[in-house]
Amino acid sequence: MSAGQARDGSRLVGAALRCYPARWRRRHADEAAELAALLIGDGTPSASIAWSYLLGAAREWLTPRPGRSLSTVATALLVAICLLGFSAALVAETAPARAAGTTQPPSSPKLPCHLTTSQPRPGIEAGAHARAC
Amino acid sequence: MSTREQDVLRRVGEASVLVLVSLAGGPKHGYALIQDVRQFAGVELGPGTLYGALDRLERLGLIESLPADERRHPYRITAPGAAALRLHLDSLERVSTAGRLRLQLGGI
Repeated sequence: MSAGQARDGSRLVGAALRCYPARWRRRHADEAAELAALLIGDGTPSASIAWSYLLGAAREWLTPRPGRSLSTVATALLVAICLLGFSAALVAETAPARAAGTTQPPSSPKLPCHLTTSQPRPGIEAGAHARAC
Repeated sequence: MSTREQDVLRRVGEASVLVLVSLAGGPKHGYALIQDVRQFAGVELGPGTLYGALDRLERLGLIESLPADERRHPYRITAPGAAALRLHLDSLERVSTAGRLRLQLGGI
């Protein structure tokens, strides 16, 4: 492994370790970084180590602890769900255009539905057409 | 309280049990634990899973960390940890014996 790859790997692991709560980082961050360096030296891919730490960080945040209120856990869960939903929406939005291999030219504005067709298309229920518009 | 209720390791997950079994052989730090578990159980513990298990076991008082050796913290099983592990292994053994016997009786 080159020095550059090792540096990138430890940067990735470092980023994953920063996702843990401060309490955990104070207690384990140094030895966790040391362990990651040893595992990377053994040939374990740094991405898999970082992924394992990311999952561990998610578990840490979501596990109720004495001193951590339920609302903190609920907020963390809500933020995680929002981030997932946002990512899924982004992927869903870009996937059809990428699959068709086309992009919409910026000069062709999207016409409102009532200017392109006044009647629901055959086979499309009127209610569904109205909802889509 | 029944033996089943006393068995605290029933609720901590497989990784924690594997860590405790490994520490029953003597104090170890994270890297040595991962290698030992891989050797005796064929299970690849991810570092995130390992620290989750260590944290849980330490909070339950089943293990304790020893003074750091450079940046590595060795961990050691405590007396309640050893008792909990013994209880859990006894319970697993009963289930294992019953399972084998039933497989044998059923001719499977």
